[in-house]
Amino acid sequence: MSSRAPESVPAGIARLGFTDPRRANDLLDDPALGGIAGSPDRIDAGGLSEGLSRAADPDGALLGLVRFMEAAADVPGLREAVVTALHDDSLARRRLLAVLGASSALGDHLVAHPEHWTAVTEAAPVAASERVARLVAAVADPGEQTPADALRVGYREQLLGIAALDTTAEDPLEVLPATAAALADLAAAALEAALRIARDEVGEEAARTRLAVVAMGKTGGRELNYISDVDVIFVAEPADGVPEEEAVAVATDLATRLMRLCSASTGAGSLWQVDPALRPEGKNGPLVRTVASHRAYYERWAKTWEFQALLKARPVAGDTEVGQAYCDAVQPMVWQASSRENFVADVQAMRRRVEEHIPKAEAERQIKLGAGGLRDVEFSVQLLQLVHGRADESLRTATTLEGLEVLSAGGYIGREDAATLGAAYRYLRALEHRIQLFRLRRTHLMPTAEGDLRRLGRSLGHRSSPADAVQEQWRARRREVRRLHERIFYRPLLSAVARLSDQDVRLTPEAARERLSALGFRDPAGALRHLEALTGGVSRRSAIQRQLLPVMLGWFADEADPDAGLLAFRKISDELGSTHWYLRLLRDEGSAAERLAHTLARSRYAAALLEQAPECVQFLGDRGTMTPRTREEVLRRMRSAAGRKDDAEAAVLAARTIRRSELFRIAVADLAGLVTLAELGQAMTDLTAALLEVTLEVCLREVAGDEPLTRVLVVGMGRLGGGEQGYGSDADVLFVHDPVPGADESAAQGQALEVVKRLIALLGRNGPDPVLDVDASLRPEGKNGPLVRSLASYREYYARWSLVWEAQALLRATPVAGDPDLAERFLALVAPIRWPEGGLTPPQVREIRTLKARMESERLPRGADRKTHFKLGHGGLSDVEWAVQLLQLCHAGEHPALRTPSTLGALAAAEDLGLVEAEHAASLAAAWRLASAMRNAGVLFRGKGVDAVPTNDRDADGVSRILGMESHTGEALGERYRRVARRARAAFEAEFFDG
Amino acid sequence: MDRQQEFVLRTIEERDIRFVRLWFTDVLGTLKSVAIAPAELEGAFAEGIGFDGSSIEGFVRVFEADMLAKPDPSTFQVLPWRGETNGTARMFCDITLPDGTPSMADPRHVLQRSLSKAADMGFTFYTHPEIEFYLLKQGWQRGASPEPIDTSGYFDHTPHGSSADFRRAAITMLETMGISVEFSHHEGGPGQNEIDLRYADALTTADNIMTFRTVVKEVALEQGIYATFMPKVFAEHPGSGMHTHMSLFEGDTNAFHEPGAPYQLSKVGRQFIAGLLRHGAETAAVTNQWVNSYKRLWGGGEAPAHLTWGHNNRSALVRVPMYKPDKGQSTRVEVRSIDTACNPYLTFAVLLAAGLKGIEEGYDLPPETEDDVWGLTDAERRAMGIKPLPASLSEAIEVMESSELVAETLGEHTFDFFLRNKRAEWADYRNQVTAFELERYLPSL
Repeated sequence: MSSRAPESVPAGIARLGFTDPRRANDLLDDPALGGIAGSPDRIDAGGLSEGLSRAADPDGALLGLVRFMEAAADVPGLREAVVTALHDDSLARRRLLAVLGASSALGDHLVAHPEHWTAVTEAAPVAASERVARLVAAVADPGEQTPADALRVGYREQLLGIAALDTTAEDPLEVLPATAAALADLAAAALEAALRIARDEVGEEAARTRLAVVAMGKTGGRELNYISDVDVIFVAEPADGVPEEEAVAVATDLATRLMRLCSASTGAGSLWQVDPALRPEGKNGPLVRTVASHRAYYERWAKTWEFQALLKARPVAGDTEVGQAYCDAVQPMVWQASSRENFVADVQAMRRRVEEHIPKAEAERQIKLGAGGLRDVEFSVQLLQLVHGRADESLRTATTLEGLEVLSAGGYIGREDAATLGAAYRYLRALEHRIQLFRLRRTHLMPTAEGDLRRLGRSLGHRSSPADAVQEQWRARRREVRRLHERIFYRPLLSAVARLSDQDVRLTPEAARERLSALGFRDPAGALRHLEALTGGVSRRSAIQRQLLPVMLGWFADEADPDAGLLAFRKISDELGSTHWYLRLLRDEGSAAERLAHTLARSRYAAALLEQAPECVQFLGDRGTMTPRTREEVLRRMRSAAGRKDDAEAAVLAARTIRRSELFRIAVADLAGLVTLAELGQAMTDLTAALLEVTLEVCLREVAGDEPLTRVLVVGMGRLGGGEQGYGSDADVLFVHDPVPGADESAAQGQALEVVKRLIALLGRNGPDPVLDVDASLRPEGKNGPLVRSLASYREYYARWSLVWEAQALLRATPVAGDPDLAERFLALVAPIRWPEGGLTPPQVREIRTLKARMESERLPRGADRKTHFKLGHGGLSDVEWAVQLLQLCHAGEHPALRTPSTLGALAAAEDLGLVEAEHAASLAAAWRLASAMRNAGVLFRGKGVDAVPTNDRDADGVSRILGMESHTGEALGERYRRVARRARAAFEAEFFDG
Repeated sequence: MDRQQEFVLRTIEERDIRFVRLWFTDVLGTLKSVAIAPAELEGAFAEGIGFDGSSIEGFVRVFEADMLAKPDPSTFQVLPWRGETNGTARMFCDITLPDGTPSMADPRHVLQRSLSKAADMGFTFYTHPEIEFYLLKQGWQRGASPEPIDTSGYFDHTPHGSSADFRRAAITMLETMGISVEFSHHEGGPGQNEIDLRYADALTTADNIMTFRTVVKEVALEQGIYATFMPKVFAEHPGSGMHTHMSLFEGDTNAFHEPGAPYQLSKVGRQFIAGLLRHGAETAAVTNQWVNSYKRLWGGGEAPAHLTWGHNNRSALVRVPMYKPDKGQSTRVEVRSIDTACNPYLTFAVLLAAGLKGIEEGYDLPPETEDDVWGLTDAERRAMGIKPLPASLSEAIEVMESSELVAETLGEHTFDFFLRNKRAEWADYRNQVTAFELERYLPSL
């Protein structure tokens, strides 16, 4: 027949949806069909070919039918009965073709057991008890099969009926809950039957225990998939007069057998894995416990997620009394879970877990896991049930879809949101069902093959280009679900304060407060007030904010201080609300609102800058740039801004306004993790240097006009010189001047002093940006010496007096502003002082060591903790810097590599040169980095300087999050700092005092 | 409110309890107690009782806010010595910060952290202490020698002996409080007694030891005598130690047991011992935390002063007791250095950490020492690679200072406090001019 020419394929058949019309045509002629194929032109209305065209996979359905009819021929009388039943376009035929077209695995089953065809054709809803009765009967009288095989065959026979009703339903989404419930009932029946077999295997011993199987997860919620792990917990009580230990041992034996009976692969295949991992202590815990033992565990040890799991617990097999006793014991605890300490932190951790742990390669095809997946919906519904179910008993249901319904009826979710989510959930579940049904495999991935997609699309009712349609629908539903948190957690909060739509029941203020505090808001009443202010009224602004806030609340809630974030947002919004670009930026530029929310709730420093300069919100837009600008770029902008002003004060204010924006830009980049500690130090140093440069120019012009008597240089010292500034750093400097040839020296000195004083004053004034404290106390003679000296005076001073600590301070001297030529000459002057040839003499070394030891006892502020003070504490910044500087003083004369103002740079060079043990160098560098990073993070979070490891738990949490640690690890951060500092202190003592 | 809390509240009602004592332990192992009225208890369960930690040894405030003591309802017991009517009950507390996270300064939490590390590795840690102590006549005066209540010796039966009466009364009271006693007898020194507690998980045992010390002191008071856990009271008699049997279980099986291996000791067991030995010097300042402790360790007899192990060697630091056939579950190791006056939480925590470290890193167990270590010469000990325990509290502090293991186990805060406190103790001790010095030097110098 295969030699038939192409033109002989009847035209009608191609229109019926076969992908291989020729093969279909051949199969329709197959004698096994016994003449039910209808007329040879294949176009008769109501004929078999038209019936096939309604199947999800017409080719597959036809092939399955032929194979089934062949098999039926072997059973006496069966083929005739089938032919009779299938002759018309009857319900029986529609069902058989639908099942064959949707599931090749069930087709195989029908071929192996053709007598089960009536399970398809006469399918009807079956009560749970009836399912149990049928399966138990099947295993009780297995005939020639083993009981385990009988279980599998009996299970599939019932599965045929479920699939028949499912695949022929008018609306696959409508029927979904019924299908899922039937699958759960069937799984429960299989567990019961398997337990009977296990009892028979064990024999009389089995009577010594009363074992109950409690279903969890989707089985417990009566919302199971076609193929899924069946989650269970085993509970047992001893039979009368049997010691508990023995009873538990027997029960464990039974449970182990039951699990094997379901999951083992036999000649008749396998059912599914029985997963007991939700039991107390998980995989490490005993498989079976008594009710009392379970209760003791949950009372004492259980984690929040375990209670969430218990929400779905339902006894399904074995001893009903014991199962019920278990549920009665644990249910009250489920509803108290939200009052447990750490509930908020646990919930946040759980939410993160839901979103993580998906293999990258699968993420795009996952239906179940990940953002926008089924798990996300289930999780969120359960969470709301836990939060509100304590007070409201109507929420206590185990099924996700019912959960959504009752939450919406109670006003905890908007009605429309619940409907949208419910529909999306059903669609995704239906997809999952159809994918699994085909081969009865456990998978949650969208297929990629065209044929699979086509079948999937058709099975869900998409007739034209089904492959594309189903993918498009899937993506759309996933998008809906991705906005789930907004819909489910946050939007209802707004309904408590603003009327969003007229039909909705409003969330009560009590419930809103409950939910806000579950989300981590510390002052729910205050938060509600802000929400009310932000969303009240009829302005365009409140309309847009009503849209934005539900999402933004989620972002605030992810951070350490949601309350502060919301408050700052309100302030900025009040400031900018009517500005045309502001709302557009938030609404239209995807991630701008998200960045804003995270920034505000994470950093009071950035929030304060933004409150002062709301226009900087633009940096957060998609077109904004978050890379810190270079020194030249900042300098150019400051110069041109200052140049536009005539008077010095206005000019410096203009430059400082630019500093404010740049500080915000750097802070945002830092918070987003876009810059390293070293890059941050450089960016902050560049910014300070540029401001000093411009201010110096302005002051020089004001004091000396166009013909100055002297040239002025600002030399950066300390962190400024090292290029390591942080948010809270002062600008440590030396001022140098050099009279122009022929100028009167004392007049020049007077002019220089005036310039310098003016500079310090202008920068030290309150202005748009945080005050820059210019500190020249490292100058010769300290506070008693003149504020500025001429180069000649420096030369004379150093030749005569130079002290070791001055040489040490000069190690980090780097010119940052002023005359470049003077800079060269100053550096040449100090080179032999800071890098003495031949290093230090022993008395000098002793002097430095003594100085440091004295400083440790004297300089630490009263009440400060020596272990955790960043700068002066043990293993703090000063320990590291002094150790490095001593090495530099002793060896930089010999080794030019050590001639760098950077602490870590010099430390690395010293290590390369073998001057410091590698292990010590690592400890010192780690401590310096951590202390610097924590100091910066402290300023970012609190908005003001932080000298030591925070002693307040909220500050500690905020700092640790900025440092990229998990939430609520504040004390661990202190622990980490103390450890790092302890090691650095040991290294310091070895290198500095003994080295 | 969970059921256990409800049970506690109901019991208080039914038995007419007038005071509830909330117990916790400071870093040095001293029992602290706050009494509250039953009416406050419900609040204490829900929110804890706030207190200013800065006045408790080692609780220097990590955070500015007050600490909270949260009673653990599973430790509820009526105190039998306070009488049947209008009684008093106690519960142990966990110490937490205001946000509910456990305080790193709480010794109970230090032990809980070690235990959860063991749990991560699949182990539960069981201990079984043998607690020695002296019974003295009351009324000791400064400068006088303490007087024991009898002159009996090891296992002596003393007719009408007040030791026996005492033990009976103490054991009865312990049993009333739900603490099972395994064994009790008269010990080697005059007035010295030993009571062994039934094995239990380490946290319960540590709680029980704290209760035990209180009960023993209370019963002694009732009988007009004085009980002391001081490590070495009499130079000429043995000191009081707390030999502690330890084992790790994986689920229901003893992880130390391996049929057919030497002493039925599994690889895990051998590595655990290796860990105890390798870190024995670092942990000494915790297991033997007083100046006086080292007088017991170096006083000879049954006290171990060297890092050795052996089968039936009573001079070894770690002894593997005789194996009883058919009792695979009872394979265990006995650590003999621990003082009765240690902080049991911290002690169990560091010893467990040392043993786990041995397992994690797969330490090799050095050969068994069969000789009495005291009988060997210094050269012999050196040849056999036998290292001593620290000879004094000062040495122990010095070794502990550079121990990452102890720092990590105690947490940096407790580690730092402990060292500071012990350094101060040593400095106080060094400032003494002792009777020894006067007797020896004054006549001749």
